[in-house]
Amino acid sequence: MGANHGVLATVHGVALVGLEPYRVTVEASLASGLPTLRLVGLPDAAVREAGDRVKTGLQRSGFVWPGERLVVNLAPADLPKVGTAFDLPLAIAVLIATGQVPRSAIGTWACGEVGLDGSIRAVPGLLPITAGARGFGAGRLFVPDVAAREAALVSDIEVVPVHDLAEVGRVLHGARPRVAEPAAIATPGPGPDLAEVRGQHLARRAVEIAAAGGHHLLLSGPPGCGKTMLAHRLHGLLPMLEVPAAMEVAAVHSLAGERAPDAPLSLVPPMREPHHTVSSAGLIGGGSGVPRPGELPLAHHGLLLMDELLETPRFVLDALRQPLERGSVIITRARARVTYPARVQLVAATNPCPCGELGNPTRSCSCRPDAIERYRARLSGPLLDRLDLQVEVWPVERDQLVGPPDGESTVVVARRVAEVRHRAAERWGSGVLSRDVPAATLRRSVRGAALRALASDLEQLGASARGFDRCLRVARTLADLAGDDVVDVEHVQEAVAYRLSSPVMAT
Amino acid sequence: MSGGRGWDLLVEGCTTVAAPGTDAELLARVVAWAVRPRRSLEAIRRSCRDAGATLLRAETAAIRDVVADHVDADDAAAATPLVQMWAAAGVRAALVGDATYPVRLAEGWPETDGPTLLAWRGAAVPDVPTVAIVGARRATGYGTAVAAWLSEAAAAAGAHVVSGGAVGVDAAAHAAAVELPGGTTVVLGCGHGVAYPRPHARPGGLFDRVIDHGGTLASELLPQEPPHAGQVRARNRIVAGLADVVVVVEGGERSGALLTAGAAAERGRTVLAVPGDVRADGSVAPHRLLSEGVAPCTGPPDLLQALGGPRRGETVARGVAAGGLSTLPDDVHALLAARWPRPVRIDELARTTARAVGPLLAAVTRARVAGELADGPEGVRLRRAPG
Ligand SMILES: Nc1ncnc2c1ncn2[C@@H]1O[C@H](COP(=O)(O)OP(=O)(O)O)[C@@H](O)[C@H]1O
Ligand SMILES: [Mg+2]
Ligand SMILES: [Zn+2]
Repeated sequence: MGANHGVLATVHGVALVGLEPYRVTVEASLASGLPTLRLVGLPDAAVREAGDRVKTGLQRSGFVWPGERLVVNLAPADLPKVGTAFDLPLAIAVLIATGQVPRSAIGTWACGEVGLDGSIRAVPGLLPITAGARGFGAGRLFVPDVAAREAALVSDIEVVPVHDLAEVGRVLHGARPRVAEPAAIATPGPGPDLAEVRGQHLARRAVEIAAAGGHHLLLSGPPGCGKTMLAHRLHGLLPMLEVPAAMEVAAVHSLAGERAPDAPLSLVPPMREPHHTVSSAGLIGGGSGVPRPGELPLAHHGLLLMDELLETPRFVLDALRQPLERGSVIITRARARVTYPARVQLVAATNPCPCGELGNPTRSCSCRPDAIERYRARLSGPLLDRLDLQVEVWPVERDQLVGPPDGESTVVVARRVAEVRHRAAERWGSGVLSRDVPAATLRRSVRGAALRALASDLEQLGASARGFDRCLRVARTLADLAGDDVVDVEHVQEAVAYRLSSPVMAT
Repeated sequence: MSGGRGWDLLVEGCTTVAAPGTDAELLARVVAWAVRPRRSLEAIRRSCRDAGATLLRAETAAIRDVVADHVDADDAAAATPLVQMWAAAGVRAALVGDATYPVRLAEGWPETDGPTLLAWRGAAVPDVPTVAIVGARRATGYGTAVAAWLSEAAAAAGAHVVSGGAVGVDAAAHAAAVELPGGTTVVLGCGHGVAYPRPHARPGGLFDRVIDHGGTLASELLPQEPPHAGQVRARNRIVAGLADVVVVVEGGERSGALLTAGAAAERGRTVLAVPGDVRADGSVAPHRLLSEGVAPCTGPPDLLQALGGPRRGETVARGVAAGGLSTLPDDVHALLAARWPRPVRIDELARTTARAVGPLLAAVTRARVAGELADGPEGVRLRRAPG
């Protein structure tokens, strides 16, 4: 083994800030001096420990740790490098610098944690890391074999699965690498069916509109009336994701460690149900180092169910507003500003009042009016404005509950939803939902008479101007459900009705 | 300019005042622009006209171009109390071309001289056949009686009545129509912060009655603007602009009613004149119009015919509330009547009448707007005992 004095062994890895990939270059060289390891480039504690892991791992795999001074630089220095993903690039750089693998290995791309036994272990975010490597022009990337199928979902890059450092050495010496099959695409079984919901004509209609236009939905009603049941069935109405969207979802989940590395790629839109005691960091994301994505980004391209919305603290609700508007969350840290995608459909459920009986025809509400006002006022105006559809849900009668199904099934309604999504995509571009279309753009597809009717209806009903755009968005979806290209008075009039009746809630 | 606490206060005020569909921030800019004497709302229109802005859709864009970057913190500070005055008075404001800005008034803008900004108390001006009944302040008993007669007939048929806020013919026309289906709009010659004319502006006076019955008090002026001759004349062009038909009842040689008639003619609207007593000074104006070829109005049939004959069934929504005809489908109405005064949930309405939720909700909205239905957490119910 001839040590390559003076050789600058360069190997590449990828660091993630949020989902944003950055190229990291690991440079190793030998110098005369005491056999020490010097790591530069402001690595955090985990990277410093990498030195120890890699040293032991190499030795256990039959390689030799150099008897000279080893200098390793991780560049760029100002990038926070967290986690264990740079173990493998570091190990390869050392192997090159010490002449244990050919110099042709210079420029290799690699990602993975090295175990003390020399095995290569999975790291979070392999999917976005692989996509990033491809973006930087990497031809092939060494990855932990347990997670190789996830990485192989990324096309136009050769994914080399490696089980341990010994296998890495063999491949770098010219052995033929194994081939990683891309993860399978999951074909989900049917979820709970809409036909199981008895009665609830109004709420079913709202659920259908919400699914079709991606509108945020508020269900208000006493416990046990079927709010959760309806929300879960809304999830079943959503169309399957396109593969690129599913990859984005998988990337966030991969990064959050919420995804088994060998899991198939799921086309089912995610559904997250945080408890109402969730913190704002839990919603948005947080944690030390590079913040982990919270419930909002985890629900990217899917549903976020918030039960007991009015039990959720006000400042947590406030934290919801901006992400819903922007379709992403931004977490600012001293050293980094991290953005995660969060195009999320919010389905919120709430009791009508603290005791839950307000409006019940048979039982009386025991709340004082000012208590109800305070309770409902917790839903800040601007957040309420984003809840395009607001409906009151009431328990259905016993005989209806035990009777035969009296409504359409998921399959039937999902077909209409898919048609509306298709029309919207043709009009506004792929993936654009009525929920997201700017008001000015929406207006162009609204008949003038309908605009005036909406304005004067809201005026007559004493509603604030802020309800205007919300009604337009819903009316747009209603027209699409009816197969009409132009939004008409009838659609607008229906849209006006999807708001809670209490003067406190009315906007 | 933008940013700054003064600006935020102004925009906040404008958010309260902006009518549905009106851009509060643009409204703030327009008001801040107009507070300076050198600039005026009318100047905005002229600039838009000179810039060749004609497309109906481009109106607000043209306005934005004119006022962009011309307002500073001092303007905002001067405008804020005015907007707050509006907000306190429950005023709504819209810019020309906005959803609640009267369509007729916007027609042809900026060539025609509809105001850039319209501020009103009460309901937005409805988009229904509209008649302006105009005439002199110093009216004869004949003049006020004819004005009331025509106004009542038009409003009962569902047409909207518009006039100035003066005593005499204006007041007679409003008073006769105020409780009828068509309703009425008063166009003020001063800002909303000025109580003029006193007898109409005092609590419980004509203006309050107009608002209480779902009518409108409109003004193009900033709230503190006092009435003066020039503004009263300018007001007349709004009266004309709002109307499909202008009826001149009485007026002297230099009557403002002639200006209203002229403005209507310029917009291609129908003008009618009521023949008067040849001995009365107030007959000069209508008789001159008649001699110039304007058609005579000899009673309600002439007026209704000129309006294109709105029929009773087609009246505006709030007419239904007063008139007793239901806007609801029969079976829905029957169910609500049977339950009266108890409310019924939408689900139950849909199930019992086997109607789809969508159209049912649209019908409910129409009936709520018409004042026929009330809604609450327990469902919807008829507002009045079924007859
Ligand atoms: N309309 C309905 N049709 C069928 N089952 C219902 C209906 N409403 C409630 N249920 C039953 O009651 C249970 C409780 O409903 P749930 O959705 O948890 O209520 P909520 O979330 O409003 O408290 C459901 O799981 C379902 O079995
Ligand atoms: Mg529940
Ligand atoms: Zn209660």
